Amino acid sequence: MKIVKSIILLFVILGVSLTACSTIITQQEVESTEDVQQPPFLTETRQDESPQTNLPKFTITAENQLQPALTMLFQSFYPDETPVFVEQGGDIIATSELEIAGEHPDVPAAFLPGGYLIPQSDSGAMFDFISFAVSEEGEKVLIDKGILPASVTLTDQAGKTVEINQPIERVISTYGPSTSFIYSVNAQNRLVAASYLGARDPFGAAMMEKIDPRFKDLIGDEYFSQELFSVEQSATLEPDLIITSARTSWLETATELGFPIVLYEAETPERLEEAMRITGQLFGPRAIAYADTWITYYNHIIETISKQTASIPEEDRPQVLFTGTEPLKVASGEMYQTSIIEFAGGISASSQMGGYWQEVNLEQIALWDPDVIIVPPYGGASVEAITESAEWQILDAVQEGQVYRMPKLVVPWDTPAPDSVLGIVWLAQLLNPETISLNCADEAEYFYNTFYNYEITEEEIATICKYE
Amino acid sequence: MPPSANMSNPGLQLSKKIIIGSLIILPVVLFLLSLTLGRYQLGPFGVVRVLLSPLFTDLANDIPEVAQRLILRVRLPRILAALLVGASYGATGTALQAIFKNPLVDSNILGVTTGAGFGAALALLWMGSQWQVQISAFVFGLVAVSLAFLGSRLYKTTPLLVLTLMGILVGSLFSSLTSLLKYVADPLDTLPSITFWLLGSLTSITWGRMLPLMIFTIGGLVFLWLIRWRLNILSLGDDEAKSLGVDPTTMKIVIIVCTTLMTAAAVSVSGVIGWVGLVIPHAGRLIVGPDHKHLLPVTIGLGASFLILVDDVARTLLPGEIPLGVLTGLIGVPILMVLLRRSRTGW
Repeated sequence: MKIVKSIILLFVILGVSLTACSTIITQQEVESTEDVQQPPFLTETRQDESPQTNLPKFTITAENQLQPALTMLFQSFYPDETPVFVEQGGDIIATSELEIAGEHPDVPAAFLPGGYLIPQSDSGAMFDFISFAVSEEGEKVLIDKGILPASVTLTDQAGKTVEINQPIERVISTYGPSTSFIYSVNAQNRLVAASYLGARDPFGAAMMEKIDPRFKDLIGDEYFSQELFSVEQSATLEPDLIITSARTSWLETATELGFPIVLYEAETPERLEEAMRITGQLFGPRAIAYADTWITYYNHIIETISKQTASIPEEDRPQVLFTGTEPLKVASGEMYQTSIIEFAGGISASSQMGGYWQEVNLEQIALWDPDVIIVPPYGGASVEAITESAEWQILDAVQEGQVYRMPKLVVPWDTPAPDSVLGIVWLAQLLNPETISLNCADEAEYFYNTFYNYEITEEEIATICKYE
Repeated sequence: MPPSANMSNPGLQLSKKIIIGSLIILPVVLFLLSLTLGRYQLGPFGVVRVLLSPLFTDLANDIPEVAQRLILRVRLPRILAALLVGASYGATGTALQAIFKNPLVDSNILGVTTGAGFGAALALLWMGSQWQVQISAFVFGLVAVSLAFLGSRLYKTTPLLVLTLMGILVGSLFSSLTSLLKYVADPLDTLPSITFWLLGSLTSITWGRMLPLMIFTIGGLVFLWLIRWRLNILSLGDDEAKSLGVDPTTMKIVIIVCTTLMTAAAVSVSGVIGWVGLVIPHAGRLIVGPDHKHLLPVTIGLGASFLILVDDVARTLLPGEIPLGVLTGLIGVPILMVLLRRSRTGW
């Protein structure tokens, strides 16, 4: 009898609660990814140019194997028309052989991996076509027609092989450095939520908002980070890819939802290049071109400094101490900061230490007797914490005012992120001002214009390329 | 049948049975209601359809696959885990308080939780996969209790007191070791993971990790349920137990082994969740009195309900997760204070 009573009670409670809740009827917010087959400017262009009847808008000189892809792109951009291919002297040259080179290389207009468009005249229609060919829409056309693969298979930095459908249109990045990789390959428009490096302080946040107006909507530190992953929130976003650090603690739960996951772990220069390459592969031909350009630029900077400092013998190189969020925590030899110091022509005072940030005492630091001390631009670290401390006055470097703060625009320049190339230049200029020809301001201007598509102002450069 | 304290009063017996019955059903109701809660909005009917979809294939065709996976593979195991872990803490706390004859005892009296915390920190530092963390936590939980047990064998004085002391010592030892691991851990990623684990969370529950929890918890609960009248005898004292035909030493060892396995299985999936094993037995006593025949089922139901509710708060109140250990502390301590003040019943 009691059991029957209890069961009836259960059903009554259930019934009441279900009726109460039934008003909340699910309204799945499916953000319609605007299916822009043709950019808006297209209609105008066509109205302007269609009276000129049969004259081709522009001609293309293309290698044979590139012609099918170009025809498809052309016909989806200008329906009912056929592209005009000429043997020589076309308005656009399409080639598979293009070397990214030079001090400040431009990102080539890649519509295929190993398929680049080079404009030869200044016709507006031609530029419209090129920007269509390298856009996400162009990528979709080539995937639909089977020229670009419908999925890519790659090995991520945790050594896991993953297959990912193309194109990726909704990505969650829960790891600060990987968000900067996505920005640097110009794929930020595919983010639906991200965790950012260096954007928690007001200056970084304001700057990031200038770089990307969507920043405020994208930043999701309260949902997604290395330690935290809101499964429910990720389900509402319906991502087609989740990018995160190899050392996250929540991978298994996220896997249960069936979203593909790519893991990054870029603690060395080689791994950083690999991370950029993987990011390129994920986001299509244009992203690959960005990644290749960055890698070329990174190596160019490293080689230039290496050549210019080659004549300095090992014992004359300045000893640099990189401290962490607290003055007595120093960067170990296994950390990326040590690579930055070495690339910049210095020697890391604490390079024999293993692991991560290591706590030492002042006597050990006095024993190292560094020539220069660098503090990072995060975690409340400050130059004053060292220069205004009485104990630290025992060091020559402090007496001589050789304590500097590594700059940042948004991403700190000492983290294993694309921006670290500027950290190398900045430190090289500080350590070897006579021998280094590179200039922080020029490099920062090129870097942010190219890899963040952000026209950095002179005042902004002045606030970051400084030594204090 | 053993003698029961309230056998002579059939009226009281009946109202108690109703209370006990509803407290056993309460977790089931909360379990079903909790399935409809979450930041991903899918109304109750959607949830019911998804739950029944493995039986009737066409039922949930119009519901996005993500939502189906979310309910079946994330929410369902998580809420089930909250139910099992809560029930486990409630029952082990009650059983241990009975055999130690001490109302301040909880599931961690012999260091099982602290040992498990060390095992988890060790795995998070040097291995990292969820499975390794779970196994390492489980094993070190058992190691800690074994150490306390072996340590107490060295002395020939009052065994329970020495055992309690050894439990405290082993607990301190393992918490020092955990502190050492936290000190050497990388402050950027490993340290937050260890801290988060030690605060307790059911975020990373998946079906794959549920099996050991289900086996040990259900097995342990059934065992404690079957011997619950013996807890009354043991709480009277060894001499009384002997005179009533129960071998107290063997019985205590069996119960300690059982509760240790249950707690280690629970801690290894949920992390350290304090206070449940201490507060729930007191709440249970306030409702049905000290007779373990009634107390044990009530603490099982109360523990399960309490943890389901706390976990609902943890996963829905804020966009991110609130650690369970923090919530159980914040909610449990005031409750315990009130209970201890009002409590006029014995233990």
